[in-house]
Amino acid sequence: MSARQNLPPKLAFVAFLWVCAFTLPWTIQAFLCLLLVLGRFTIPALRPGSSRAARAFSRFILYSIAVATLVSLLNAVLIREGAIVGNIFGISLHQEGLLFGARTASRLLLLSFSILLFFVSTPLPDFIQYLQEKGLPPYLALLLLLTLHFLDQLPNRIHQIFLAQQARGAPVDSGMISRTKALFSILSPLVLSSIVESIERGTALELRGFLHRPQASQPVEQGRSHTYWLTVLVLSLAIVILSYSIVKWLIG
Amino acid sequence: MEIPGGTCCAILGPTGAGKTSLLHCLSGIMRRHHPGAVSSGHLQIGERSFDELPAQILFPTVGLTLQDPHVQISSVRDTVFGEVLFTLENTGTVPENPTDVILPLLRNLGIDLLADRKPTSLSGGETQRVALATILIAQPPVLLLDEPATALDMAAQQKLRGILRSMKGKTTIVVTDTQLDFALGVCDQIVVLKEGAILFDGRPAAFLRRMQDFATALPLESWNHLKPELDEMLDDPSTRGSRITRALAIT
Repeated sequence: MSARQNLPPKLAFVAFLWVCAFTLPWTIQAFLCLLLVLGRFTIPALRPGSSRAARAFSRFILYSIAVATLVSLLNAVLIREGAIVGNIFGISLHQEGLLFGARTASRLLLLSFSILLFFVSTPLPDFIQYLQEKGLPPYLALLLLLTLHFLDQLPNRIHQIFLAQQARGAPVDSGMISRTKALFSILSPLVLSSIVESIERGTALELRGFLHRPQASQPVEQGRSHTYWLTVLVLSLAIVILSYSIVKWLIG
Repeated sequence: MEIPGGTCCAILGPTGAGKTSLLHCLSGIMRRHHPGAVSSGHLQIGERSFDELPAQILFPTVGLTLQDPHVQISSVRDTVFGEVLFTLENTGTVPENPTDVILPLLRNLGIDLLADRKPTSLSGGETQRVALATILIAQPPVLLLDEPATALDMAAQQKLRGILRSMKGKTTIVVTDTQLDFALGVCDQIVVLKEGAILFDGRPAAFLRRMQDFATALPLESWNHLKPELDEMLDDPSTRGSRITRALAIT
């Protein structure tokens, strides 16, 4: 199955996970996060498109888990409700705070993991082409394309500017304070060069008739494919969970 | 300024002379992006006449390649072939079998072996030719090239000159450049700009005779290496083409 054929069920899956992030208990959300991390290795459609993307995703998981743990612990310290579940350096951790922190963290993790995994496993050209086939207006496609291209190029660009500043003798790698100060010398060229390149790239696309392209015709499907039914199934599941949550909330 | 159809015109001038702005005016991008920047002007392309400069992109009638070929690569497609096909999709002119149209063009430009390569992984010269292909595939009657030789080595420049020469007669080409070598090798008309004004507009031979008049506008010192060959050329206009080629080969 090609990457573009995978897109409808993948988008439906992200929508399903977002519904879960706002409706299901935090334990299930944490479990879904774990499944996503495992799915990155086992499900072909969720495998990152390049080794760079795989590294970025792994690093993001590690940082996110560290932040989530910190958020949970801070809440456990600051919200002094419920039983004391533990002590760290003489500071008590409270159950209600810990649960509140875990709920917030698992929701944020599920939202970010799902969207990030979608983008690292989906080639940008396929995604844009798919959206255009579905009738996305050219102006929006251009905006999305420039934004995603900017994000894609960001690490590379930061590295280049970092090296250029280093070559000029800026203290970009000597201690935390120096690095923080040097951040400003990296930020301004980064922002300026990104704006200039985005304008030029947009102009180049305009010069190739991108904004006046005829509406792409959707390929005629011969019967219903597996991906169609998978998309319907995942979306139906999301709708069922959402409806159940709304009804439950209304009943009280 | 008038450029006869099917000929090649070089716009020379120092940085800031208005070469790129002129191309942007001709392609329609100037008034579209900066409506107040141009107060007046008239443009005629073949039968098509504009009382003011056009405020819409004239592609595919006018094709423009930008100074930096890398931004011309859309990144919307994974391969060079796809990148070129993308232009045909934009113009709504994808033939039944795109390979029949795209591969000969890539072959002409000497990049057919790159057809399956990722467009963002190419060298400067290769990217320049891919950028050119993305415009040429739409067969614009007017082709504008903004400093196309800047990023190219001598061999690649020679190749590009050959490509442009082969297009003359069918396509009207306007090239901006700061290098005399490239312009003389391919152009029938030379226009010298300085601060937005036309200092010279005429045939290359006439330009060479008056070259010293433009000492303040052009980097004449860097062109001195061409002088002996050019002087010889001026003595015998009948062999101009071949001698220019020789002069350029020496450089």
